[in-house]
Amino acid sequence: MDRRTFLKLAAMGSLSFAAGCSAQPDRTLFSRVQAPDDRITGQGLWYASTCRECPAGCGILAKNREGRAIKLEGNPLHPVNAGTLCMRGQAALQGVYNPDRLSTPLIKKEGRFVPLSYEDALAVIREKAAEAARKGPDRVTLVTEMAGPVLLSLFETLLKRWRSRSPVVFEPFAYESLKLASSQVFGVRGLVSYRMEKADLLVSFGADFLETWLSPVEYARRFKQMHAPGPGEQGLYLHVGPYAGLTAANADRFMPCRCEGEAFVALGLLREVLERRAASVPWDVGGPLKRILAPYHREAVLKMSGIRKAHYDLLLTRLESARKPLILGSSGAGENSPATDAAVCLLNTLLDPDLALIDFVHRHAVERAARRREVLKAFRRQTDGGARVLLLNNVDPVFSMPPGTGLQAILQQGSLFVVSFSSFMTETAALSDLIVPVAHPLESWDVYESKSGIWSFIQPVMGNLNRTRPLGDLIASLALEGRAAREGYRAHLIRELEKWGVIRDEAQWVQAVQKGGVFDLRLPEGARAATSPDLRPSWSWAGTLASAADPGASGTFLAAAPSIRLLDGRGANKPWLNEAPEPVTQVAWQTPVLMAPETAARKGIHPGDILKLGTAWGELEAPAYLNPLQHPDLLVVGIGQGHRAYGRYAEGLGVNVTDLLPPGVHPLCGGPLYRASPVSFALTGKRSKLAATDGSRIQHHRKIALTVKAGAVQPVDKGQGAHGLGMEAFPLALPLPEGYDPERDFYGPHDHDGYRWAMVIDLDRCIGCGACAVACYAENNIGVVGERGILEGREMAWLRIERYFDETDPMRVLFLPMLCQHCDNAPCESVCPVYAPHHSKEGLNNQIYNRCIGTRFCSQNCPYKVRRFNWFDWPWPAPLNLQLNPDVTVRSKGVMEKCSFCVQRIKAAHQKAKDEDRMIRDQEVVPACAQTCPAHAVVFGNLMDKASRVRRLAADPRAYQVMGYLNTKPAVFYLKKVIRDV
Amino acid sequence: MSDRPSRLTFEAVEKSVLATLTPASRRYWAAVGLLGLGVLVGAGCWAYQIAVGVGVAGMNNPVAWGTYLINFVFWVGIAHSGTLISAILHLMRASWRNPIARAAETMTVFAVCVAGLFPFIHLGRAWMVYYMLPVPNQRHLWQNFQSPLMFDVVAISTYLAVSSLFWYTGMLPDLAIVRDHSKGAKKRIFTFLSLGWTGAHEQWRHYTRAYLFFAALATPLVISVHSVVSWDFALGVVPGWHTTIFAPYFVAGAIHSGLAMVLTLMIPLRKIFRYERIITIEVLENVAKTIIFTGLIVAFAYGTEFFMAWYSQNPVEMEVFRYRLTGDYAPGFWIMVMCNTVAPLVFFVKSARRSTRVLFTVSILVNIGMWFERFVIIITSVSRDFIPHAWGRYAPTWVEFGIMLGSFCLFFFLFIVFVKHMPSVSMTEMKEMLQEGGGHD
Repeated sequence: MDRRTFLKLAAMGSLSFAAGCSAQPDRTLFSRVQAPDDRITGQGLWYASTCRECPAGCGILAKNREGRAIKLEGNPLHPVNAGTLCMRGQAALQGVYNPDRLSTPLIKKEGRFVPLSYEDALAVIREKAAEAARKGPDRVTLVTEMAGPVLLSLFETLLKRWRSRSPVVFEPFAYESLKLASSQVFGVRGLVSYRMEKADLLVSFGADFLETWLSPVEYARRFKQMHAPGPGEQGLYLHVGPYAGLTAANADRFMPCRCEGEAFVALGLLREVLERRAASVPWDVGGPLKRILAPYHREAVLKMSGIRKAHYDLLLTRLESARKPLILGSSGAGENSPATDAAVCLLNTLLDPDLALIDFVHRHAVERAARRREVLKAFRRQTDGGARVLLLNNVDPVFSMPPGTGLQAILQQGSLFVVSFSSFMTETAALSDLIVPVAHPLESWDVYESKSGIWSFIQPVMGNLNRTRPLGDLIASLALEGRAAREGYRAHLIRELEKWGVIRDEAQWVQAVQKGGVFDLRLPEGARAATSPDLRPSWSWAGTLASAADPGASGTFLAAAPSIRLLDGRGANKPWLNEAPEPVTQVAWQTPVLMAPETAARKGIHPGDILKLGTAWGELEAPAYLNPLQHPDLLVVGIGQGHRAYGRYAEGLGVNVTDLLPPGVHPLCGGPLYRASPVSFALTGKRSKLAATDGSRIQHHRKIALTVKAGAVQPVDKGQGAHGLGMEAFPLALPLPEGYDPERDFYGPHDHDGYRWAMVIDLDRCIGCGACAVACYAENNIGVVGERGILEGREMAWLRIERYFDETDPMRVLFLPMLCQHCDNAPCESVCPVYAPHHSKEGLNNQIYNRCIGTRFCSQNCPYKVRRFNWFDWPWPAPLNLQLNPDVTVRSKGVMEKCSFCVQRIKAAHQKAKDEDRMIRDQEVVPACAQTCPAHAVVFGNLMDKASRVRRLAADPRAYQVMGYLNTKPAVFYLKKVIRDV
Repeated sequence: MSDRPSRLTFEAVEKSVLATLTPASRRYWAAVGLLGLGVLVGAGCWAYQIAVGVGVAGMNNPVAWGTYLINFVFWVGIAHSGTLISAILHLMRASWRNPIARAAETMTVFAVCVAGLFPFIHLGRAWMVYYMLPVPNQRHLWQNFQSPLMFDVVAISTYLAVSSLFWYTGMLPDLAIVRDHSKGAKKRIFTFLSLGWTGAHEQWRHYTRAYLFFAALATPLVISVHSVVSWDFALGVVPGWHTTIFAPYFVAGAIHSGLAMVLTLMIPLRKIFRYERIITIEVLENVAKTIIFTGLIVAFAYGTEFFMAWYSQNPVEMEVFRYRLTGDYAPGFWIMVMCNTVAPLVFFVKSARRSTRVLFTVSILVNIGMWFERFVIIITSVSRDFIPHAWGRYAPTWVEFGIMLGSFCLFFFLFIVFVKHMPSVSMTEMKEMLQEGGGHD
């Protein structure tokens, strides 16, 4: 090689090397070059808005960092949820950042979707609707999810322009039977709310008010106000139903009955109460009621309902002795639900003629949802062959309704032009002719009336992620004209709110937006009249009561259960919700068939065996799961999975139980049936592994989730050294110098610098809902491992809810949130060869990710097994990665991680305190789990501060440390669950 | 030493040993190639694991340690008997060990090398392994010498250093013999390797002294290294690990497995290299007798563990041992018991311990049993420790099997390359034995 060739080669080599490197990352660090005035780089901005993941309408505060919403928390000012959120609310962000979100309108041409612009899409809608309207009235139909009043009225304006009727509000769970009962008994057409916190006895006939029923976050709070140990007397909660979901698992006594048997229990109780309180009956119901109730004497009730005698008697005595009993209705799922709900309303009236515990004013927004019968009618109207336009707003009836309704065929008619305003390719959208993706509620302006008089504002908490347009703007441009159309939906919204008297002027609008809404709107006089009960002696409920039919020996029932994680299936495309295990079964990513162990034993079924389920309407195959908390004549399948579309996290996972359900509606209430009978089930010979996160259902008599009998709470003697070293005898050892005892400790205590962070978890308050675990995923950038990862035992949850069936009473379920205990004497710290687990000056057990080399010794030696190893680099398919919290490192493969007590929040509090030259105040640091807990079960604080709440609670007679006898001196204290003597 | 083969002369020893160093057959190279391929398979699996993540192995939460550490402990165990035979038996003047000392030491050195690989393979971030070395750095980050894993680093590297020096020192006179009997390139290589050994009286004096000192130095290491390995477990809080019996239990187990591996290696070697006159059946018989002894020690240790679990009445301990007996991994437990404690009992029968076939079979069984002993200890304890909700199971994946195959191939690859190119029996020590029926001095 000569000199010139060398120079040529060298030049070419270095040039190609330089060209091969990309000069800069594709994405700029900040979303915009010119930041808005209020944005400070590195600091979060909080925007108040409203959660739209279910019709409850909880207030949220969204944390915006550098232009991106990264975390949702409850709005403390909001009267519905008072600062907390459920797991679905926490996961709303994964709707915004979902990688399968559509970004441009799609029109179906020759069976394939092709993109088009918003202008063209709107033009198509205008043209098709105008064409249909020309042909006659009522040819444009709009089926929408539950929306705010302003949007609904705008829909109405739009439909009027096209000579069509009002929009149909479709919610899969529309509580038809509750509404029927309320209108028949109270004369109130709507869904009243309950002042549960004031009750001393709560009886539910299937209402899963901690999971999905009406407003679960609100009722979780109210329930715990009534039920948790406090200064006053504690209420009692009894649950009657054929199976126990999370709500029933929280009952002081779960009273299983036959499927459809709840009605007879309610009617029997009504009969007994009527007899005993005949004198106090407020209006003359004696005659007809007594006649209807005559068959429901004790023996008949026991026989027809299948409830245990002891349970029934307990219900009676408790109802008799309660001063402020409150009875909740059914979940509206079965044939006998209207009878149950009517009986429950009457029971409430008889037990408390003032109905003081029922709030007729603040009624739930979902009451506006149409009955299923009307929804079906609206769809069936589309089949007359003429040109019609069907607009669908964010609903997925093809998934939510049984196939027997013939919805697929209706949507596929050539004469019908279907427009889906949907951000995802749902089953329904896939059958539409035009899909118009819209901005997520977190990116839009709107208002939602969570409960009557509670106007909760929706404002964009971030910029629009993928240039989709807000639904309001699209509808405004269709419905309004001239300037109003050009100004868009926000201006329309303000105008309307002023017109309706929600706000006086723009100044108040700004204040209300900051606060999150107008929460105490006084209703106009006319509206108020309809909200007080009108207990007419109408006896229209007589037919409803009499409709209770004994299913006799009609074989095995199937119940489709709404899911706390996926609701009606709309949560199924969010990885966090799939990854979080179902609280009672602990199964994630899958839909098992729940059956009683005796049912399984009879047929030789083992957990994981794939069963073929069949009803008159369909069949499906799903793995078996043995659940002791249900009646033997019942199979339970959760609703929510089994999507045939809806993106990578939903498609093809689990089964859709609605395939087995009857397509008809209940003749009385017009609601759908979520129960079917008879159902056949048979082994297919195939087996699968259940993606369950629990290694054992019981705690093997270990000091883990402890209980104490009510009244037996004795102050424990914390005398030093007076106790033994055994599991039971070991005393509470504070993670402070006073917790060290030369008798027991070889090494001396740690020095702490002003703070020793600690946590107290009240097991009596914990309802096991798992909101904390999902909040932790959101806050701490925890990887999602998927179904396979869970099967391999590699879930990454820093905080998990351990579910144990009580060994002394298998019908009782104990929940225990388990997270890093931040031990003062941590077994993980001493075994790491490189000091990656590090004990901080404030008592935190810090994990130094970039020091960790992945020996996993710490995890082996952790008695609580709370350390999580990154077996791989976990994927955050774009744009899910934009949700990542910039204050928390994203861990790479090969390092260990675990709960940090939200050290980033502690550090932020430190900075603030330092600026203000003070100590961090008690309750100033709130970790994500404690923040979101609807039951306020988690308290965090500084143990060195003798006045702090954690310090006081750690001295509670119920306080203990899990496996404290290992002398790890955990900084997480648990308060024993109180067992009421029933 | 009365039944020593009397017809063996110095010349016969040299002849039969040097005969093994003749150019190798095609079959030999085929075996070397096959083993090399196995090594490549293991290396490929490891590369895949580094690229994708340790998740390609079957470990999870709670069982975060799997076959990598099982193999680590297994190979460290194998490494023990070499030094036991060459050092402790040397100090005790049990000169029956002389014919097998060289091969046993070789086994030791290579087994330590293979064992030493496994902690690296095990690491989540193998590329950060230097964090375990006390490298000065500007952040003053230091190692945690409280951690049993740091003890391991020190113990294993010391053991490797001492045992290879001991091995090489002992080889010097033999290397010189090979040098004297070879020509050309081979002569040059062995001239270099023998470090100028002339057999002068002064050299012999230094040599015997050095050999003795190394033996004395290596002897405590035999005990300490595996004790340290046992502390990886015993210093944890995990039920089934946290027990004081672990150090002697592990040392006995290590010797047990090492002796079995000596038999596994010696019996084919003896046959292929026609060493029957050198490695006599009496030598193998003595090894077998020692195996009975170590087998009884491990049997006692197994019993003690169960007794202690019962005696403690601690539900956590009792559950772990109940689980070992009857749980998901009970087959592993019973393989361990049968192979390690029951199978060696056949050596009580004289004809059994004089039959190479029986000896070889039992040695393989003990090897398998000792692998399962580590499996049972490492997997079952964490599989069922304190928090029942977190209990879980573990099964190795193809990557782990690939790496395990690679490790065995690597060991046998090194061993057969050695025995064909270096004197696999210590001619010097054989001659000493013939001369005076005793040790060096």
